[in-house]
Amino acid sequence: MIRLNCPPMNHDCRSWTSLSSGLVLLVLTLASSNVSAQSVCLPVPRLLTTMPMGGQVGSEFEVTVAGELLETASDLVFSHPGIKAVKSIADDDETDDVKTGSNTFTVSISEDCPPGIYEACVVTSYGVSTSRIFSVGDVSELVQDDPTTSLDRAKRLPVDSTCNATVPVRAVNHYLFAAKKDQRLVIDCLARGIDSRLNPVVIVADSQGRDLVAERLGDRLDFVAPDDGDYVIKVHDLTFQGGADYFYRLTIRGVVGDHVPPPPETTKEVLQFSWPPHGLSAKAQSNEASLDDQSHADCSTAQRISLPCDIAGRFYPSADVDLFQFEAKKGDVWWIEVASQRLGLPTNPTVLIQQQNAAGKSETWVDVAEFSDIASPIKVSTGGYSYDGPHYDTGSSDVLGEFVVPADGQYQLRLSDLFGGTRSDRRNQYRLIIRKAQPDFALAGWALHMGLRNGDRNVLSKPIALRPGATMALEVAALRRDGFDGPISLSMQDLPPCVTAQGIKIASGKSRGIILISAEPGAELGWTHAKMIGTAIINGKECVRPCRLASMTWPVKNARTEIPVPRLLEHVVVSVGNAEYAPLTLTAESDKVWEAVEGRKLTIPLTHLQRSDFSGANIKANTFGNGFESNPVFDLPLKAETSKVVLDLAKLKTPPGDYTIAFYGGGVVKYAPGENGPSSPSVGLTAAKTKKIKTVDTVDIMVSRPITIRVLPTDTSESTSKSK
Amino acid sequence: MNLKSQRRNTIRQVRLTNLCIGRPVLLTFILLICFARSGVVQDATGADASTQLVSTVDSTDVPADIRTDIRPESDAADGSASPVSFTNDVVPVLTKAGCNAGVCHAKANGGRNGFQLSLLGFEPQEDYDHIVLEARGRRIFPAAAEESLLLIKATGKQSHGGGVRIEHGSDEYHLIRRWIQQGAPPRIENEPELLSIRVRPKQGVMRPGQRKTLRATALYSDGTKRDVTRMAIFESNDQAMIEVDQAGVATAQDIPGKASVMVRYQGKTSVFSAAIPLSQEQFELPAEKNFVDKFVFSNLKTLGIPPSPICDDSVFLRRVTLDIAGRIPTTEETESFLHDTRPDRRDRMIQSLLDGPGYADYFANKWTALLKNRRDSGTDILSNFAFHAWIRDSLLANRPYDQIVRELLASTGTVLDNPPVAWYKRVTDPKQQIEDVAQLFLGVRMQCAQCHHHPFERWSQGDYYSLTAFFSQVGRKPTTVRGEDLIFHERGIAFAENVKTGQKLSPMALGDSVGEIAADVDPRLVLADWMSSKDNPFFAKALVNRYWKHFFARGLVEPEDDLRDTNPPTNPELLAALEKHFVDSGFDLKDLVRVITQSNAYQLSSIPNDANLADRQNYSRFYPRRMQAEVLLDSIDDVAGSRTSFADLPLGTRAVALPDNSYNASSDFLRVFGRPESSSVCECERVQSANLGQSLHFLNAKEIQDKLVAPKGRLQTLLDSCESSEERVTQIYLAALSRSPTADELGTATAYLQQSRVDEDGKSIDPQSAEKESLQDLLWAIINTKEFLFNH
Repeated sequence: MIRLNCPPMNHDCRSWTSLSSGLVLLVLTLASSNVSAQSVCLPVPRLLTTMPMGGQVGSEFEVTVAGELLETASDLVFSHPGIKAVKSIADDDETDDVKTGSNTFTVSISEDCPPGIYEACVVTSYGVSTSRIFSVGDVSELVQDDPTTSLDRAKRLPVDSTCNATVPVRAVNHYLFAAKKDQRLVIDCLARGIDSRLNPVVIVADSQGRDLVAERLGDRLDFVAPDDGDYVIKVHDLTFQGGADYFYRLTIRGVVGDHVPPPPETTKEVLQFSWPPHGLSAKAQSNEASLDDQSHADCSTAQRISLPCDIAGRFYPSADVDLFQFEAKKGDVWWIEVASQRLGLPTNPTVLIQQQNAAGKSETWVDVAEFSDIASPIKVSTGGYSYDGPHYDTGSSDVLGEFVVPADGQYQLRLSDLFGGTRSDRRNQYRLIIRKAQPDFALAGWALHMGLRNGDRNVLSKPIALRPGATMALEVAALRRDGFDGPISLSMQDLPPCVTAQGIKIASGKSRGIILISAEPGAELGWTHAKMIGTAIINGKECVRPCRLASMTWPVKNARTEIPVPRLLEHVVVSVGNAEYAPLTLTAESDKVWEAVEGRKLTIPLTHLQRSDFSGANIKANTFGNGFESNPVFDLPLKAETSKVVLDLAKLKTPPGDYTIAFYGGGVVKYAPGENGPSSPSVGLTAAKTKKIKTVDTVDIMVSRPITIRVLPTDTSESTSKSK
Repeated sequence: MNLKSQRRNTIRQVRLTNLCIGRPVLLTFILLICFARSGVVQDATGADASTQLVSTVDSTDVPADIRTDIRPESDAADGSASPVSFTNDVVPVLTKAGCNAGVCHAKANGGRNGFQLSLLGFEPQEDYDHIVLEARGRRIFPAAAEESLLLIKATGKQSHGGGVRIEHGSDEYHLIRRWIQQGAPPRIENEPELLSIRVRPKQGVMRPGQRKTLRATALYSDGTKRDVTRMAIFESNDQAMIEVDQAGVATAQDIPGKASVMVRYQGKTSVFSAAIPLSQEQFELPAEKNFVDKFVFSNLKTLGIPPSPICDDSVFLRRVTLDIAGRIPTTEETESFLHDTRPDRRDRMIQSLLDGPGYADYFANKWTALLKNRRDSGTDILSNFAFHAWIRDSLLANRPYDQIVRELLASTGTVLDNPPVAWYKRVTDPKQQIEDVAQLFLGVRMQCAQCHHHPFERWSQGDYYSLTAFFSQVGRKPTTVRGEDLIFHERGIAFAENVKTGQKLSPMALGDSVGEIAADVDPRLVLADWMSSKDNPFFAKALVNRYWKHFFARGLVEPEDDLRDTNPPTNPELLAALEKHFVDSGFDLKDLVRVITQSNAYQLSSIPNDANLADRQNYSRFYPRRMQAEVLLDSIDDVAGSRTSFADLPLGTRAVALPDNSYNASSDFLRVFGRPESSSVCECERVQSANLGQSLHFLNAKEIQDKLVAPKGRLQTLLDSCESSEERVTQIYLAALSRSPTADELGTATAYLQQSRVDEDGKSIDPQSAEKESLQDLLWAIINTKEFLFNH
């Protein structure tokens, strides 16, 4: 673990801005733990909307942001250096101070910023917010100030422009555009792909508003005007939801000649983290013949290939089955990987391998292996009453599997799309790779969700915005490739000062790891673009792979009524706020490596630095750490300033070695917004009980600082003892 | 002549129609009835088997196949007469006697009083076991056959809940007794199998009141035939048009048209089709605009039913707008159309309506209800909206019908990615899937065949489960959306197990082989291919019949989703022509609507003439029908200038555009007027009948009153205008009835508007308020007229 040279805990090293008014004094009324009718998770800054949601290359314009806990927003930052923002100056503010509360920024996009999607975050005194997609386009931009919910209020859009808008609830926005007979236009309505809640419906109607064509799957609408004249575009949500969260970017572009503008870039689903494999070239080595519009559904036209291979193809037309024949030797082991859903396509590839009949009947093929779906490495939530896994599905409907050749001979690979029976879409491409084992892994992580109580279905977006003294846990899933089975170490780089990260490695054969990110109590306001990485020894070489961070696009209060939508983030922003301290800092009494002999008990004294009142007497604590998850749940006393945790290494059957562990559990904080910003970070409740304030029971995960332990082999300890 | 006498050795004089010659020839010949086993009646002249016998019976022509095998009826006491077949002789007796009817011993789950028989004798082997082997064999007593429980119960000698079913001493009694005396064998040597039955005559013209005796002949696998008239069951498809007794004597009633009599015998059926003419000879037929007119008018000519004249433009406009777009015309549309003098203005209007979104909304409303787009929980909203939108957009884009059905049947993926998948959310059981598909898209009702052979059709349990096999490889995976599965084709050889026999059945499409389906071919696609093949006998026919009914109130086959041999169309030539046209058009739904609505047959007046009032199936006039619930609600809104607010939908959304049934719960109007709950594939779920609730609703529902006085409604707009009373009356008539008032109507209404009014205390109220109240009354009165409530 990296230790930075941070100020001591009782050293007020920060320049507080508009923080809360000192130490909160709470009346400690401990009772049995009561976890009903609570808020879930301590407040964190969340950027939910920007208006507009993007701009044109080389332009400057005002952007208004809105979200949760953004009152202290000071900066709007982007994932591309070519996009900059300055907080707008209030017109009526003689002091030239920034606007307060309006959260308006002047954004400029440099000429060299490529069109695409980027991420925007707001810097606040609670740290850096969750991100929102910010698009950069190459056509003129409009912002719709008022809804245009009837034909007579339709807003006119020039061809080759983008309109940033929201749709009101139970309403349809109307736009007018002019087109010439036979003029071809493409209309894109970006919504889900830029974090909106909107399921966009786009309809082109005649000038009287009579519908002509509709697109309801969020796809591009390709329109050829039947006559000269005005046409109407209608935009609404599929179920007519609306409001500020239902934003979209409506772009209408003319098609000149055969040049069809590429579809706008959109966010990536979590399942896409595992594609492409490390080192894969962007372009396949060869093409499946249907890319040249030839079907190979008939055995007689199967495409002959030799292994290994890397082929690009498409599931087209509907019910397409692509056949590839190859020769293989008994005992050879080939790994087959198909990517299609991970290319962002609505497909479900399946692979069947057949062996030619040994009798030489060329048309007789016998099934020998079938591959379909990549299972999620860790169990995904089933959406039941109790929490049983994260809402991040790292599996996919693509293919990744091992084929052991059973005998010398001719084989045939049949590749088809289980969703392709009635769909005929040239865009449904795939990449088929057959290779000798290239052991590897891919990682994706997200803020740990914990079942705080049964029936609680919150699925929140969580920025890595730390309160000083807090430790945050990220859950990491590893997709292992081609039989790689070794341990994977997890770590982070480029963290802000006074912030450390400790990975609990993914053990051999396992798929789940934890990264603990801790901010020293004396950490100052700051943020960085950090990196999450995994390291493993593969074939004797150290291999470092990125860990993609994922987050929910929206904080979902009830996953039963709203489907959580996670996505991959382009950047890992780690920040520390200065508005509040963590309500509880749990640390081992000493920073040392705690040693114990194999099969003995290890007692770890903990120090509790409690800055908020809690409901209940104890926290039911669990243990992170390889092999330590089975440590029985124990009570972590909230009244005490110290406690001891005893780990029975015999029961845990912990083999000798070094381990990182931590303790965690759900605690109900009597949270007083803005009142937990003590003048001194080390002052706890003992000195903070002088005034009564209104609090909100808020349940959150309390995680201890990582603790390093070393389990010594019996003989070593004995010899050490003897030597002493 | 009494038909029963035919069973005795007799000599009869009959008139013989030699079909080869084609004209009746009066001959005298001797019918020599041979009582030898499998004896064949031969005429003295040795005429060919195709010769048809026609005897004069009560002035009715009675056809008879002379090569008739009539069972011997001598009854040797020792049972030594010709052997009796349980399957071919005994079971038909039980069927005719009603013993194995669904309400008697074929009642599900045990029959009656511990005695179970298969429905209508479809399973003779099981029946044999029940009769002979069950109940410790006490149901038969070969040593004293007449003491067998089977006989003493059936004859009422012993108390029998079903009463006397077989007369003691009757032929049927003797036949069963003889079978018992012969040892009650399960079968006899070289027992032939019943292949089919046929009824003679097959068709004929019957004047009202005329009687015709039908004769049923069974054809067996050994080439023999048997007159089974006595044992066959006769049923009329429309008692009001033709009645038939169980001796096979059919009597035409007074209603002209086509009717049929279904003849059933041991799972086989045949049909007699009767044309009952009105026999008017001198009348003019409208010009034929297309093949629809050709066949409709030809039929009318055959039946002698004079059609009503072509309707006027305002009636046409209102009718076609209601039928295509599910709304009444706007005042502007009416005025424009009525001023249009172009000869093709009607065709233009049809095209305009087909091009508009109203068509898509209205027909999507129809299809989503039939496809069970039902909201069972709040989380269904996304899938229901998506599914409705998919259908609506498909209709808007005029995607070929076969393509729409294909995408539905073989849908894969998630609802949001592929909305037709939502159908699999609603219909989860493969049995329900094939029943819905068969009824909705093929017009075949397969439900009966799940448990037993279809009583009126050729479908067996094997056919039923062979059809379910098409859906046996539908894979499901849970998704993040509660209650929604991801649908995919699960690789494997499709089969279904006949739950009764345990037999594993490959996919068969209503008896048609579709060949071997490879493991990685989705069988649903094969089914879709079969359905949309040009020679499919069901798919296109079912659709054109359904759409015909949409426009004419009555299907060429009724019910519209019950196409079967035993339920013939009233105009088979027209149905065939429509079917062919639809297939040839590439399953073009708009084209079908166009060809129907462009016909003069569709544009006939609904006002009957002196002769065609009784006609209710030959389309000699337009049959008026009450507007559907959604259409009626929209129409009231249109007339009143009001809007109905529906949850989750923009204000102004029309009722015909509602995506699912959930709005019924919050709308008394929609419920009272019969909007379906989307729980059935049958259009009959939509209630079109009148009831007291509907009348009360129009009389005093606050919803109606509020609409009439909507703040920005038509009434207020009229009051705010400076128009005269006459103009106001005209505007209301144009809006509600798509026509101007007649002089009488205008005079009456204007006078009413100009009347002074008094309040509850008898005091005069000011003229302005009086006019407002009078205008409300007028508007209310007009929406209560049949002319408004009905599409006519």
